[in-house]
Amino acid sequence: MDWRLITDDGVSASFGLSADEVMAERVGAGVSVPTLRLYTYRSYCALVGRFQNIKNELRIDFCHENHIPINRRPTGGGAIIMGEDQLGIALSMPAQEGDTYSRAREIMTLFSDGIVRGLKSLGVDAHFHRKNDIVVNGKKIVGLGIHRAPSNGLLFHASVLVDLDVPFMLRVLNTPFEKISDKEIATITERITNVRRETNSRVTLDEVRKIIAREYETSLNIHLVPGDFTPEERQDIDRLEKEKYLSDDWIYQTSSIEDTYGGSKIKTPVGLIDVRVSMAGAMIKAAFIGGDFFASEAAVADLEGALKWHSGQPEKVAAALEEVYMRRREEFNSLPLEFIVQAVQKAVVRALALEILEDGGPHSQEVNAGEKHD
Amino acid sequence: MLKEFKIGNDSYSIPADRHYGRENHMWAMFDTTNGQVLVGIDALGLTALGDLAYVTLQPAGTSVHSGKAFGTLEAAKMTGDLFAPISGTIVSRNDNAVRNPSLVNQDPYAAGWLISILPSDWQNESAQLVSGSDLPVWVETELERYRQQGWID
Repeated sequence: MDWRLITDDGVSASFGLSADEVMAERVGAGVSVPTLRLYTYRSYCALVGRFQNIKNELRIDFCHENHIPINRRPTGGGAIIMGEDQLGIALSMPAQEGDTYSRAREIMTLFSDGIVRGLKSLGVDAHFHRKNDIVVNGKKIVGLGIHRAPSNGLLFHASVLVDLDVPFMLRVLNTPFEKISDKEIATITERITNVRRETNSRVTLDEVRKIIAREYETSLNIHLVPGDFTPEERQDIDRLEKEKYLSDDWIYQTSSIEDTYGGSKIKTPVGLIDVRVSMAGAMIKAAFIGGDFFASEAAVADLEGALKWHSGQPEKVAAALEEVYMRRREEFNSLPLEFIVQAVQKAVVRALALEILEDGGPHSQEVNAGEKHD
Repeated sequence: MLKEFKIGNDSYSIPADRHYGRENHMWAMFDTTNGQVLVGIDALGLTALGDLAYVTLQPAGTSVHSGKAFGTLEAAKMTGDLFAPISGTIVSRNDNAVRNPSLVNQDPYAAGWLISILPSDWQNESAQLVSGSDLPVWVETELERYRQQGWID
């Protein structure tokens, strides 16, 4: 089966997102052919997930001062920076008839396969992670998201980190850290990875793009035909860009779910555990697990990944942590699981308590906002 | 009225007192006292989706059409529309579910309801949904599909 391959570089945030949404809508409606788009944004832009509150995710003043466009993806997940070293992937295809939600989940795995194969052929030991990222030894290297268009089209979004300027990213994104010191930069650098680092080479984005395109042909059993947007598609993209992706109503919309932050520190016989969580309502958006205990950074990154976009319910938190811990037990160097669980659960409780405080709920007087980071 | 379907160690509740959308796994329950239909997501739909992170719902007074969107959701980084199982006008929405979407996962058939609709054609549209004696076969078929996909053991 023939699919169209579109490659474009240096696109604006508003055009890039508008094009992806239009393609999903049109492919779903049967008026455009299934399309794989492999592209880059003009360095840099900051893109938040569909329902995120921008003021909580981004350092807006820094973005404005540095002319970094801000926009909102149609897909879910967290805030990211995109530029010339991050390969954007947008796959548009019709959803299967008769299946609303489960097909989307199925294609998350299916569509990740081309990327995983591509990275493997570059020598990167990448795996699809069930929390919808592609990781290398627990460290994220590709972020994924999916959107189901009203027309029954599916948009699969991925951002492949060919390279990443971590200090710059930490100036753009809001983090649970009170300040960004060299220590925080070093820690985050160890919890996330990129293609150049893993291959210890200066592989170019275009080389990565070509390999991923080739692997998609194999994994999806398709033939990619290089092409471009049609005049009708460009008209639709232009219209949606003006109506939506250049509109503050879309970009700066707010969610009715408050974001909260909680922290905890627990002294254990093998060292201090310092946990910070950021939450959207009862859902953990991200977790940072630090301290002075000895454990492999990859194993800790795996723990953090397991908590991402995970329920904050105590038993679900414990189950997620246990799954990683049992798999990588030796890498935690006798740091007991129970202390990690306790520290994360405590941080979640504190974040939820702050939510009640912000709601003016019945327990608000019992909580000291100064406990934000313990 | 709760019908339990057991797979391995997990059980999936499909109450027999309501109707279900074959494709979108929305449930619809007609209330004879006020003629309104309560709508939510069933346990199988939630198994496919995972934990809901965000939910938005159209306000009261909005007209909805069977198979068309009445809100949006995000779960496991998938975003998409919530599809109405029947047509009518939204009478009320569950703001608690909007503020705390985990309610929908925790209690999908009671506290996790989404909207209440005043139906425009309940008699005909409900006949297109799965209910009564058709439920067991439909649920078992869906569970088998989920098992084949590896979403359940």
